[in-house]
Amino acid sequence: MTLLKTHLHEEHVKLAAKIVPFAGWDMPVQYTSVKEEVLAVRNDVGVFDVSHMGEFFLEGKDAEAFADYLVTNDILNAPYGKAIYSPLCRDNGTVIDDLIVYKLSPGRVMICVNASNIEKDFAWMQSRHQGFNCTLVNESANYSLLALQGPRSYAVLAPLLKELTDTEYYSVVETAFENEQVIVARTGYTGEDGFEIFGSHVAIITLWQKLMSLKVTPCGLAARDVLRLEVGYPLYGHELNDELTPYDAALGWTVKAQKTKFVGKEALVSKPAKNKLVKLVLEKGIPREGYSVLNSQHEKIGVVASGTMSVILNKGIALARIEIDKAPQDEVFFIDIRQKPYEAQLVKKPFVTGGHK
Amino acid sequence: MATNIPANLKYTKEHEWTLIEGDTVTVGITDFAQSALGDIVFLEVPDVGSELKSGSTFGVVESIKSVSDLYSPVSGEVVAKNSDLEGSPERINEDAYGSWLIKVKVKDSSELNNLLTAEQYQEFCNTSH
Repeated sequence: MTLLKTHLHEEHVKLAAKIVPFAGWDMPVQYTSVKEEVLAVRNDVGVFDVSHMGEFFLEGKDAEAFADYLVTNDILNAPYGKAIYSPLCRDNGTVIDDLIVYKLSPGRVMICVNASNIEKDFAWMQSRHQGFNCTLVNESANYSLLALQGPRSYAVLAPLLKELTDTEYYSVVETAFENEQVIVARTGYTGEDGFEIFGSHVAIITLWQKLMSLKVTPCGLAARDVLRLEVGYPLYGHELNDELTPYDAALGWTVKAQKTKFVGKEALVSKPAKNKLVKLVLEKGIPREGYSVLNSQHEKIGVVASGTMSVILNKGIALARIEIDKAPQDEVFFIDIRQKPYEAQLVKKPFVTGGHK
Repeated sequence: MATNIPANLKYTKEHEWTLIEGDTVTVGITDFAQSALGDIVFLEVPDVGSELKSGSTFGVVESIKSVSDLYSPVSGEVVAKNSDLEGSPERINEDAYGSWLIKVKVKDSSELNNLLTAEQYQEFCNTSH
C-alpha cells in the first residue's frame, strides 16, 4: 500500500521529524520530544499538520437541514459562525465517525471528518442525501489543514490574517491569508485555546513557513494524542468504533432526543447504554490500550480504550470502557499491567484543565 | 540515522549495550534505542538475585507512546541494579551509555561470543532500519 503524504511533507522532512504511517498517511509523529511539544501547546503555542483530515461541503437551501438529519447533535438551532461537535450514527445507533459541523453561512456548511473514515463517511452521507436540496462534495484533496494550539494562538494568528476578531471557542469565520481564502475555526483537539485553519495547499504551506519563522513549535501526532487524552477527548478507533454508540463513549450530551428526526434517533432514545467511559489515573504504572480493567476482587470489568503517560501530571492516565452491569459500587479500580494489578483512581473531571475560552 | 556506538562495548540485536568486565556484564540500552523510543518515562528491571536467561525478557522500558521489552544479553544472576534511574528514567535519553540498568554475573562465558561488536551493530542498525 502506498502511503499518502500531506502537502507539508517536505517541511516535516526539513525539520527532521520522525514520520510514521497513520490512517493511510505518512504523518509526523514527533519533531523533537513529545514532552516539549505537549508543554509548548499547554504553555505557549504549537502547530500540527492535520491535512490528512477530510472536508466535505454541503451547499444549497437544505444544507443545514441535511447536516442536522445526518448527525445526533443540534445543527438547525445553532447560529451561523458556530462549530458543532457530533457523532455520525447509523440507524442502529452505532457510530460511523465523530466530526465537526461548521455553519459557515446560510446554505453553506462544512464538515470535518477523521482521515481514516473519509470514504466511509462520504458514502454514508451520499446514501442519505435523497430528498435534500443541496450539494454534497468531498473537497478533502483540495484542502490542507493546520491546528494552531496554545494560549498564544490568537496573538500569533490574528496579525497574519485579513481579519480575526477575538471570538468565542467553537466559532468559525471565512477570512483571508495573503489574499487566499481560508476558513478559520476556534477549535482543536488539545483543550487549549487555538485555531484550525483550512485553506488551499499553497496558502497552508506558506502559513506553516510563516509560523516556523515566528518560532511556533511544530508538534506531532504523539503530542496530539497525549494532549487530547489529558483533557479526556475521545478518538475514533479507540473510544469510538463501528460497534459502539455515543453513550459508550460518554457522548450522551451530543444526542439531542428533542430533534424531530435524525439518523439513529429511534435506536438511541430506546437503547440502554452497555458501557460507560471512565477516566482513571495511576500513581504507578502506565495504562495502555487493551489492558484489562479490574474491580477490587481483581475480576475483569472493562478495558483501557486509550492510555498514556500524562506529561502534565507525570502519571499514567486512561480512558477505560467499563461494562455498566459490572461497574463497581465502591468505585475501586485496578488495571492489569503485565499480569500485575495496579490501583487506579477514578476521576470525574478532565485530568488536565485546558485553557480554552 | 546518526547514532553513537562506542567501540569498547558489545551489543545485541535488541539494541542493548554491554560492558564486559571479568565475569560481570553491565547492561543498558543503546543511543539508537533511546532515540527511537523518544521520551522514556518508565523503567522496570528485576531485583538483585533474579536469574536471567539469555534472550529472554528481563524488564520493560516505556516511552510516552510505547512499551518495549528488554532482552537479557546473557544468562546469569542480577548482582546490581541502577536504582538512580527508577525516579528519573529520562536520564537514559540524556546519556544512554552512562545510564546502565543492571549488572549480571555471567553463568556461561561462551554466550559472550554471541554479542555484536560495535562495527557489527552499526551494520545491523544501518540495514534493519
